[in-house]
Amino acid sequence: MSLELLLLILVIVTAIAFDFTNGFHDTANAMATSIATGALTPKVAVTLSAILNLIGAFLSVEVALTVTNAVIRIQDASGAPRPEFLADHGHTLLLIVFCGLVGGILWNLLTWLLGLPSSSSHALFGGLIGSTLAALGFGGVNWLGAGAKIDGVLGKVILPAFASPAVAALVATVGTWLVFRITTNVAAKHRETGFRWGQIGTASLISLAHGTNDAQKTMGVITLALIAYGVWTDTTQVPLWVKVACAAAIAAGTYSGGWRIIRTLGKGLVEISSPQGFAAEASSAAVILVSSHMGFALSTTHVATGSILGSGLGKRDAEVRWGVAARMVMAWFTTLPAAALVGALCYWLGSGIGGYPGVLIVLALLLALTGVIIRQSMKAPVHADNVNAAWSEGAVPGPDAGATIGNGATLGNGVDAANATVSPDASAPATLDA
Amino acid sequence: MFPLFATAVAEVLIISLIVGAGLPALFAAGMRAYAYGEGGTATVGGGSRHLLGKVVGVACFALVILVIALGLAVIVSSGFGYHVAFDGMWPTFAKKH
Repeated sequence: MSLELLLLILVIVTAIAFDFTNGFHDTANAMATSIATGALTPKVAVTLSAILNLIGAFLSVEVALTVTNAVIRIQDASGAPRPEFLADHGHTLLLIVFCGLVGGILWNLLTWLLGLPSSSSHALFGGLIGSTLAALGFGGVNWLGAGAKIDGVLGKVILPAFASPAVAALVATVGTWLVFRITTNVAAKHRETGFRWGQIGTASLISLAHGTNDAQKTMGVITLALIAYGVWTDTTQVPLWVKVACAAAIAAGTYSGGWRIIRTLGKGLVEISSPQGFAAEASSAAVILVSSHMGFALSTTHVATGSILGSGLGKRDAEVRWGVAARMVMAWFTTLPAAALVGALCYWLGSGIGGYPGVLIVLALLLALTGVIIRQSMKAPVHADNVNAAWSEGAVPGPDAGATIGNGATLGNGVDAANATVSPDASAPATLDA
Repeated sequence: MFPLFATAVAEVLIISLIVGAGLPALFAAGMRAYAYGEGGTATVGGGSRHLLGKVVGVACFALVILVIALGLAVIVSSGFGYHVAFDGMWPTFAKKH
């Protein structure tokens, strides 16, 4: 097997793996509030979201081949690799993309371990920026774009990261305030069940939109690699098997749940009721659809987090845990540089050692760190049965939480047992004093 | 680029406020009307049944479903390379260039 063929295979496999992490990282964006308020049981929620992501991924016939153009300069405007990369079966381009994907995957896994919702596209872009910096230097990165339109790292990544949570939070605050204002004289039980239906509808929209947007990015990356290697030439179509593989990967990832992040968003940030949940989901759906309709895509993660925060701000006596919010904001600002650092290190390793050993060492690094992170996560697992347990310090419920929830029994998780009765059914809301 | 970005954000904010906060408000209004129509234990104060309340409530819910369907249309059509425009009352679909 030639080195370039090995690289191509690794790019395809890591891209699909990244797509999987993208799925489980983002389940929370659509489903966290529905799970927290009991509108859907955890299993039903992730199944619904996975199916909609799968459908969404197949719905798009547009080719997101130019996805890397927003941040780096390895493709021309049509999406084909720049000619200087084509000489040696795209060796340099494949190594850049491979190392970028490694950076994206590792950052996604680490933030998942910490239960932090961070943007998967920022992780991917960060990884690619890092490996490109290492390979081509400062000029290889599209920092500012041409100036005539919103482009480059500044326009497509940094500015939206500041703007989107603020916009979403404002919309959700207004929505939540209106909802409570309008329904003050509706009986609480009536209100609680009614809003759950609204929540399911809007959450489904977000899942579908996610499938159409995010799976496309991975399809674009794989197709780019195939063109660079020289086994595909059409810049207007994605090979069918690529589409099937990416759709399946994002759906499988979504189904696997990313429970740690669902827990942070659904239980950690704000104690959420179903009117708030509906206002948050409606805000997220509106901001995501309106912005992507205007050709100005915002990160689903930033929008969803902002919306949930806003749903806490809009309700008078709601509790917003600012410590959790601050941790999330930290994660947002570190995502791009951290993934970039990993991407750059991998490229230096891969090209510095060179040849087969270099590539295989990067692969070994990816597998080893993935193993470590998964081992760590096993120590305090979060799953469908304990995802809604009462929130105490830290994102992860205690080791025996899963066993006791579901009988409405008390939790011994550093929480005063008398104050922390958890019921699986939100119609009998949990009392939380933690 | 900054003015361009600010304009885009302002547009997203205004339209999102109308749709994203308006939709829950409409749903809430529907719920309030329906509860008024149902009377009894559905409202905090109690009260008798009112047919008009139920009709208004159902109309609000139908409008909410319509808006969600429109959102669906936007997602599906953009996936197939079409752009939905809202020039008149009704959405029109045109091939993107």
